[in-house]
Amino acid sequence: MNSIDPRVHQALDGEIPREALPPALRRVAERLESAAALLAAAPEGRSVADRVLARLHRHAHSPVRRLARWLTAPHPVTLRIRPVWSLALAASLVLLMLLPEERSTPVLGEHEGIAQFVARFPGAHSVQVVGSFNDWRTGTIPLEDRDGDGVWRAVVVLPAGAHEYMFVVDDERWVPDYSANRFVEDDFGRENSVLIVRPVKG
Amino acid sequence: MRVALLLACVAAPLAGQSVRSRLEGRVPAAAIPVVDSLVQAAGREGLPTEPLVGKALEGGAKHVVPALIVSAVETRLDQLRSARALLVRGGDAPPATPAEVATVSGALRRGLPPPVVERVVGALPNEPRESALHAIADLVAHRLDADSSASLVIDAIHAGLRGGRLLDVSHAVLEEQQRGRTWAESFARVRDELPDVPPAPKPGEGTVQRARRPSSVSKAPTPP
Amino acid sequence: MNVREGPSDAEVVARVLGGDREAFGLIVRRYESGLLRFATRVLGGRDAAADAVAESLVRAYRHLASCRDPTRLRTWLYRIVANRCKSHLARRATGDVSLDDAPPIADPTDNEAALERVEQLAVVEQALATLSSEKREAFVLKHVEGMSYQEMAAVTGERIPTLKMRVHRAREALLKALEDRS
Repeated sequence: MNSIDPRVHQALDGEIPREALPPALRRVAERLESAAALLAAAPEGRSVADRVLARLHRHAHSPVRRLARWLTAPHPVTLRIRPVWSLALAASLVLLMLLPEERSTPVLGEHEGIAQFVARFPGAHSVQVVGSFNDWRTGTIPLEDRDGDGVWRAVVVLPAGAHEYMFVVDDERWVPDYSANRFVEDDFGRENSVLIVRPVKG
Repeated sequence: MRVALLLACVAAPLAGQSVRSRLEGRVPAAAIPVVDSLVQAAGREGLPTEPLVGKALEGGAKHVVPALIVSAVETRLDQLRSARALLVRGGDAPPATPAEVATVSGALRRGLPPPVVERVVGALPNEPRESALHAIADLVAHRLDADSSASLVIDAIHAGLRGGRLLDVSHAVLEEQQRGRTWAESFARVRDELPDVPPAPKPGEGTVQRARRPSSVSKAPTPP
Repeated sequence: MNVREGPSDAEVVARVLGGDREAFGLIVRRYESGLLRFATRVLGGRDAAADAVAESLVRAYRHLASCRDPTRLRTWLYRIVANRCKSHLARRATGDVSLDDAPPIADPTDNEAALERVEQLAVVEQALATLSSEKREAFVLKHVEGMSYQEMAAVTGERIPTLKMRVHRAREALLKALEDRS
């Protein structure tokens, strides 16, 4: 590392006047200042103002907030149901109760938890997650993109604890989960994402 | 005692066989004998063997060349040995449990400095340290100072927090930071509130209903 | 309109907290260009910087009541963006700055002086990208955003002597990187 004469730092920090520097040191200070001036003058691209204000608008008008406001404010509520409709309503409720549950809820063990994988791969045909929890095998945890918006999801029961993993896109591309906040070297020149599953019970 | 010895004699070759059968077809044949011998060595030393088998399977799945797989498994074995030495230095009775060796090795791989790990080992004698070490590693990954992070988590331990609640501590610090506080302020706020840090939300009923267990087996994926 | 004119930061904050959401637009317009410039230099990419700044401003709005001293709104906003950038860099597989996503260059032009300026800027950007994220942050806050060490301490939460040392090392590293490229 080149060391800079301390007087240059003092001048740049405003501790001594610039004129106190000999010409050679003054040039060093000027070089750094002109670099900073170039960076300061460069255009910075599009404004984010519209994006931010739109988010604030959505935040203020989100259905959840409206519902919360409605629930916390007092309202007179009147229910008027005609006898014929009340019969139909009762019949529907009975039907709903009699209908078998389409998907059964998994029974979680004491040392198991839920992992939710979400990744954005627009245009991908398949996305899977492989890791230490499935011996790095494909075909065991596919992600789904039901509405075709490029966002792939899976909700999986896994043993509690730390697991390393990656996504496999279209059976050939290995990609870490960049939304994970934890990474570790995989010793093969790449990085695995790290997931910590907490037990649901306890 | 005799029964235990007999079982140990029978178990060693059986374990060896099951390692080979797990590797066959999934790891290049050239790597299997060396990986197998490294796994056996770890077993004899009382070290956890699953991280070594897992590393070999990972290398096979990623279609890594045999030499690199062997080298990665050797590296993992060295890491496990260092982790055990650290645990013993920190006060665990040798040979230290395989689970704790794997935990400490994982923390070192995540970049925690050994003295910091040793402090946590000493603060939690004879208790699982996994969550504490991950909580500190999460803070360090956000470029917070390792010693200050360890001090906060150890304070949380002294305040009675354990397991996943220690992860709530690191999460609370990062939340405070995202609200515009400096890391020193964030640490101070969370420390003042100990042991009352907000708990992580549990998965809702709908999420649990949607959860599926991984289905079994299939082909190995193509290399990266 | 010059957004630096008009009501003070403290007045605008009071208006927003009083329910005038639109007044927050004034804060956004007043500080976004500096925040974008700062985030772009620290993250090394315009898209990532825009995401970080947009996310930070939304957070700032939601937590505006916790800004204890509205007269120091500027440093508070920079701190939120600096923290957001740290999280972003922590998430990234490597700490390297992507030159593919290189920051902004003025529109190409046949003006020779402008072209030369564009080339010089590219050299400086490449040199800056070789610094660690901490040094980049320190250099940019000091010399590009023109902050005092006190303000930098408010943004980063570091002590002034630490920041001084970091700025000094950043200058040395940048000068070396510039010399390597000349």
